[in-house]
Amino acid sequence: MKCTADIDVRDVDESCINIDPIQVGGRLTADAMKAVIAYGDGYSVCDHCRKPFRLDYIKKPPIQQFHKDLAKFVNMDVVRVVPGARRGFQAVAGTYVQKGDPVLITALSHYTEVLAVEGNGGIPREIPANTDNIITAEAAAETIEKVTAEFGRSPVLLFLDHFDYQYGNEHDVRGIIRVARQHDIPVVYNGAYTVGIMEVDGKGLGADFVIGSGHKSMASPAPSGMLAATDERAAEVFRTTAARTDVTGRTFGIKEVEMMGCTLMGVTLVGMMASFPHVKERVKHWDEHLSRGRRVIESLERIVGTRIRSEMPRKHTLTRVDTLKSFDRIADTHKKKGFFFTSELKARGIAGIIPGATRVWKFNTYGLTAAQSDHLARAFLEIAEKYGLDIE
Amino acid sequence: MSKRAIDTVFEALFTLTDLRVMLRDTAPFHELDDDEKKAAEEMIRTLEGDIKVLREELIR
Repeated sequence: MKCTADIDVRDVDESCINIDPIQVGGRLTADAMKAVIAYGDGYSVCDHCRKPFRLDYIKKPPIQQFHKDLAKFVNMDVVRVVPGARRGFQAVAGTYVQKGDPVLITALSHYTEVLAVEGNGGIPREIPANTDNIITAEAAAETIEKVTAEFGRSPVLLFLDHFDYQYGNEHDVRGIIRVARQHDIPVVYNGAYTVGIMEVDGKGLGADFVIGSGHKSMASPAPSGMLAATDERAAEVFRTTAARTDVTGRTFGIKEVEMMGCTLMGVTLVGMMASFPHVKERVKHWDEHLSRGRRVIESLERIVGTRIRSEMPRKHTLTRVDTLKSFDRIADTHKKKGFFFTSELKARGIAGIIPGATRVWKFNTYGLTAAQSDHLARAFLEIAEKYGLDIE
Repeated sequence: MSKRAIDTVFEALFTLTDLRVMLRDTAPFHELDDDEKKAAEEMIRTLEGDIKVLREELIR
């Protein structure tokens, strides 16, 4: 089936149970799909844009209200929508990081945090993870001391992922933020894997900024995301232009420098807005998603030789699994090599794991129905059984 | 201008979208339970009505 002469229809989520580690939280709701149909044209949310000509002031569709609701949703004061969490990192780094400034990230930080720091001439320094791949407050305190000694001043910013993209492990954000505040270091809470799938209380955690990803966890089209700030920080990161051009003397009203004026001006924003009521509701059911994921983990653990590399018990539906001593042993001698596993999953209607992967791989069960997670759990066992792997 | 045709096109697209989501929720086998069958039947009936309206409005 084709969309156009050269573009295939994408029907992976209609045909299969998709467990791609980065895709599942961004799957659109029916309402978002409908909004996408109606608002696909370029500047589609701008029909009723009036003075002062800024996205977050538009009342029809209710973008202004959405901004207020979104801030409340993560218990912060001010929100702007941004084209992906990474653009939120960039805006914060652009505000606080100067050339040569030390900036704290963690050993499990997303690469876009590093790029945001680098883009502003900052020098990233990592808080190491412990042997369980957890970032602790103790490690943060030690790293702050070390970096302060190295640079003769405190780091100017700390990027902190609540759950990381590699293991889906939970890190001690509350403890780390407490330590950072003792040193007056502003903290960016990276909620790419939390905001939109579980409840997040930004000010309760003491964060200066909360960043979320629309396409990763808020059932929204890409690229979309949100940058929330406290009132104090909002005045800095959302500062408005003061420029006046020299020849024409033009000024640019209340456009925000770090936002480059307006941000999500069409289908991405309206998709986020359409999903938002469902997102607000679904975060209350995080435990159900977690429990379905745990059922799948239990199945995998029964396959002798399989190791869950993520922290246990699981606190997130994104999991890293090591099948070097189970499925990878089959791949060693199978004519399809690691692709045997992909084929077996595909035959059972399961997609989203990197093709050919049988060593260490990731998957995410978020959003599956109970029937789908049961099917997935069974499928792993069936494949193991078929190839003679021992099952406990 | 046929506002009725425009509204009907959107209604049909939205109904098809609900069917699409049903396919997602029941992947990979799409074995519908009784409630889902009932909902699918209702959606298909809506679509049939929409097609009738579009014929009336556009192919007179």
